[in-house]
Amino acid sequence: MDPALERYSRQMRFFGIGEAGQRKLLDSHVTLCGCGALGTVLANALVRAGVGHLRLVDRDFIETHNLQRQVLFDEHDVAENLPKAEAAARKLGAINSSVHVEPVVTDIDRTNILDLVQDADLILDGTDNFEIRYLINDVAVKLGKPWVYGGSIGSHGQTMTILPGETPCLRCVFEAAPAPGEAATCETAGVLGPIVNIVASFQATEAFKILTGRRDQINRELIYIDVWENVYRRIKIAKLKGAVDCPCCGHRRFEWLDGEHGTQTTSLCGRNAVQVAHRVAGRLNFEDMARHLETLGAVTYNRFMLRFTADAHEFTVFPDGRAIIKGTSDIDKARTLYAKYIGH
Amino acid sequence: MTVRIQIPTPMRQHTEGKATVEVAGATVQAVLTELGQKYPAIVERLFDKGQVRRFVNVYLNDEDIRYLDNLNTAVKDGDELAIIPAVAGG
Repeated sequence: MDPALERYSRQMRFFGIGEAGQRKLLDSHVTLCGCGALGTVLANALVRAGVGHLRLVDRDFIETHNLQRQVLFDEHDVAENLPKAEAAARKLGAINSSVHVEPVVTDIDRTNILDLVQDADLILDGTDNFEIRYLINDVAVKLGKPWVYGGSIGSHGQTMTILPGETPCLRCVFEAAPAPGEAATCETAGVLGPIVNIVASFQATEAFKILTGRRDQINRELIYIDVWENVYRRIKIAKLKGAVDCPCCGHRRFEWLDGEHGTQTTSLCGRNAVQVAHRVAGRLNFEDMARHLETLGAVTYNRFMLRFTADAHEFTVFPDGRAIIKGTSDIDKARTLYAKYIGH
Repeated sequence: MTVRIQIPTPMRQHTEGKATVEVAGATVQAVLTELGQKYPAIVERLFDKGQVRRFVNVYLNDEDIRYLDNLNTAVKDGDELAIIPAVAGG
């Protein structure tokens, strides 16, 4: 055996991979969007398996409460105040120095996503909000690149594989994202480590199939798992393609990529505050939002605004989805805080 | 027809904490209306102007109702209707 392949011998012995499959993995380029809970499990699986080129993109820093489930990080990384992409790349380099890991510390948006995915054979979703997933979906459908969605919260999670032109896309299945405050986030509902590992492990296996050219084996259903309530569903979604009038894969209107949707965020000069201008249809339900938030900090609201204070930040949320976050002038941090507490 | 409806965790505050609710009706629309009559607070979480909210999907026996007959899809005794919102975390 080629000595460079020795470390993969048990994987190559598996009939679905073989030496040919292993060589394909080693020649593959993957862009992983997000390096949190799902992202660290994905990166770990891909690098150990010998995916040759992994670009790891994340906008965030590591905090102690990440360690419960974000498997590549440890207490030293928190003490060093490292960005997630950087800390993950260091760890991955020690796990497998023969593959190339490229950390990119940035907020993925419509201005940079093309550059981040252009040379990738596959895009993997390790993100935590729908705004970015619709952007990934736009770029993937536009360029015809496969991608694998994963999401998890509480004790449940979902995953589906998108092969543009072949399967329904994310917008065929989820026509719209929950408005901010309408769905629980990991900050409000919590999340168990095991469900994250399960969802990301499904995603990683889909990655192996796609990268080794085994499209016949790909999962064409929406998988839904709840590890606390003992639920495993395989929801048949293939027939949605064409049955729904999808703006993205049906009409090739790329509303996130072309900037018709999404967050427009600006730092409010001299106020140590950032405005997150998130457009929502209709009005936010402050009563529900307050219920989600009240265990995490002080919440008050009237019909004009909701005020929430936690983590030394004060959020003022308006019914149209716009928010002003005091206590930071960093746009990326404000967007992270918005996604964490207000949702979406 | 009695159908068992699976209630997602974030909506259980409106169903007295129940994870499943059994209701009667001949179509998806009818059983969801019946659910709303039992638990009025859930209506606003589930519907927007008479349509299922766009981030909530409804699956009848693990089939998406949008390629069946949508809210008019007929149901039969013992069917299972799962209400599943999009999962954002990660």
